[in-house]
Formats: sequence, C-alpha cells, structure tokens
Amino acid sequence: MLNRPLSLLLVIGLGLLLLWSQRDRAASEVTRTALIMGTLVEIKAVGSDENKLEDAINNAFDVMRRVEAEFSPQVPNSAIARLNQTAETSEIPSSVRDLVELGEQVRLESNGAFSMALGGVKELWAIETENPQVPTREQLEAVLPPLDSPALLLDGLIARRSSTLVRLDLGGIAKGYAVDRALEQLRDRGLRSASVNAGGDIGVLGGHAERPWRIGIQHPRKQGELLATLEARDQAIVTSGDYERYFERDGRRYHHIFDPRSGQPASGCQSVSVVAPSAALADALATAVFVLGPEAGMRLLEQRSEAEGLIVAANGEAIVSSGLKERLQWR
Amino acid sequence: MALKALWRRTTRVDRALVLALALLSGFSLWVVVDREPGGQVVIYRGEEVAYVGPLSHDRLLNIHGPLGDTRVEIEAGRVRVLRSPCPRKICISLGQVWKSGDLLACVPNRVVVRIEGEEGRGYDLLSR
Repeated sequence: MLNRPLSLLLVIGLGLLLLWSQRDRAASEVTRTALIMGTLVEIKAVGSDENKLEDAINNAFDVMRRVEAEFSPQVPNSAIARLNQTAETSEIPSSVRDLVELGEQVRLESNGAFSMALGGVKELWAIETENPQVPTREQLEAVLPPLDSPALLLDGLIARRSSTLVRLDLGGIAKGYAVDRALEQLRDRGLRSASVNAGGDIGVLGGHAERPWRIGIQHPRKQGELLATLEARDQAIVTSGDYERYFERDGRRYHHIFDPRSGQPASGCQSVSVVAPSAALADALATAVFVLGPEAGMRLLEQRSEAEGLIVAANGEAIVSSGLKERLQWR
Repeated sequence: MALKALWRRTTRVDRALVLALALLSGFSLWVVVDREPGGQVVIYRGEEVAYVGPLSHDRLLNIHGPLGDTRVEIEAGRVRVLRSPCPRKICISLGQVWKSGDLLACVPNRVVVRIEGEEGRGYDLLSR
C-alpha cells in the first residue's frame, strides 16, 4: 500500500521538511558563568559537540582563575602582592613582565594617563567598600606615585618598584589580559566560535557561527538601554565608564577611574569604549582615554592604527574614531 | 490531471501517513520558530544552580551566600534584586532584567541571576 508514487514523493518531501526544520540545532550555543576577579565572567561557545564546548569553557575559567592568582594584589602570594610588600627585587613570571611592558607602553603613549601604580590611591578612596571616603589633597599627595617613572624597574624577570609610593594595581589591564588568555585556551581546544565577557570586557573568537558577534554598548546614563551596537569577529571591546563603581557625596559622583596626576576621579568622560585586537590593549587604552578626556583621548586612539574608540564626553556628546564610524549602529 | 490520477491511486493509510507527517513537520517548525523570548529565570549560588523557574511565575526568593541573603523578586515578568548584604549594592542599582541573556549579579555574595530563553535582545554581548 506504500508503493504509491505520490505517497512516496510526499513522504520523502515531508521527511526532508522535518529534517530542514531541525537544521539550526546542528550548532549549539553553550553559555556558562563564573565569578572570577571580582566580576561576573560569561563564556559562550558555539559548536556541534556540547561536551567539547563544556570542557573548553571549564578550562578557560581555570586559566582566568590562574591569572587572578598571579595578578591580584589581594591574593597574598601573588607576584603583585609580593612586589608590593618589599622595596627589594623580586622574580616575576614572564606573563607579569609581558603585561607590565604593555602597560608601560600605554603609560608612555598617554603621557602618564594610564598607571599601574595607583593601589595606594584606590585604598584611600575605598570606593568598593562599605565606607568610601573623599580624601583631602594632602592625603592624596602622600600616596601619589611619581608621574614620570614606570611602575616597575625590570631586568629580565627581576623586578622592583620604582618608588615606595608605587602600590601596584593592574586593575586597568589584568581583566583584559585574562580575557585574552581565556580566548587563547578556547582556540587551543579547537573552538572557532566563542566569546568571553568579563564584566563588560569582551573578547570574541571568530564570529557567532556564520554571522559576526553583535556587541551592545551600554548607554552611560540610561540604565538598561544601549548607546550603540557593532558587529565583531576576532576582536576585543572594552568599555570604561563612570556609572558602575561609584558613590555620591553632597550631590557629587565619585567613580573608580583615577587621574594619576591628581588622584581624583577623571572628569572628562562618561564612558569610553575601545575596539582593539586584544582585550588587554583595549582595557589599558580605554582607561587612558577616559583619563585624558575626549580631545587628547581621541588623539591617542588615532595614533594607534589597530585601535578604534567611541567616547561619550562629560556633556553627553559622542565622538567616534574614524575607523569605527561606519561600524556603529546607533540606538 | 496526472496528479488527480496519482491521488486516486493512494489508499486511506497512505493519506493518513502523509497527514501525520505534515502535522509533525508543522509542529517542529513551530517549536523552533515560535518560542517566547526570556522564558526562564536561573539563579546561581556560586557554581550551583539555586533556583530555576518561569519568568511568568511571581516569586520572592532568598538566596543565601557567604555574606548573607540576597533577596530576588520575580514579578510581572521582570526580575530584580531587592536586598543584598554586599557593601556597594551594585546589584540593586542594576534594576530590572527580563530579556533572554540578561544578567544580574551580586559578586561579593556570589549570586547570579540569568534570564534564559530564545534570543530577544538584538545583541549577543553587552559591553559596559
């Protein structure tokens, strides 16, 4: 009874339709979150083998935890904590040296706007504690490190602080570095499509399956709303803003991005988003540009052909670097 | 004409089989295409899942973390943190979430709230 030409054709046709309707399920997206480096980290991986994706994500999280153990000044035996505890030399891992060298490059290019030496300033403000305070000028001057010196003096893998006023804090670059290492791990595990988002510091590997990753940029003054979106493949996007870690006192907002020249929160921008080949570079540049303000910050970005940026100035005006103008979709 | 002739050659069983396959295909297409966005709330305490439930189900939840209880409200299809023992209350200031992929987190108390479901935000990742 099934040996009927019409029935056979229809059965085959409908069977194909059934298979076609399941086609998107061939590629799965696995998303996992973890709390690392004091922030929420979300890793997404796209592929057909979910077990492989899960393993790769778990390994990437482990890599990020190792970065935290190496770079956090709060972890007692980390390379950074050990350097902060002594005026003498100390041996450091090559990863610390490499990151410090990148940070020093950005410090020089930004005329000191980026600093890895502001741990003392950060402690004084205590912004992320229950009792933040507004320090006096005298208190700040007592902890401000010299502007024209690097944070660390390096001789191969031997390092020491350039001054006892230097309290190493790589918060402006280490999170981006962790994102880069996580992406490297995912790539080494054979993934071709993945993203790592560490509290807004984003790195993407490939695209999202066949299309680019779509990145939303938070509006600095409208919670829950986007300022713009852009598409990206194999890039990093980092945003520094004054709206997430701050406190208010006497009607004034004090946020966590300090100007190394004064020890005060920088006041030229509401937010800065930088697109660059690596999240560590994007992280450092976003901080430097925020401190420099819109004009000098944009000049810094335009000097670097591989980096682009979107700056929202203190008055709300948005300025975009030349290479990013065509890529942004405003909301 | 040829089709009519072919159709006349089918039996009742043939037609029932074709109809069953057509309905099954239609159903599977509907399931893939027509899922509601942001359908489920998943709350993590550290690495463990502490709660999973529909966004449409109003609830008040206390999630116990290392610092104490984080109170999470699910109401009218939206989720927010009402109270938390963290020092800066950033999780509370993040307000409400409801779209698939949205996240809230009290990092010091290790509580993460995630909205899961079909993609409904228009972007994959948020830089902030």
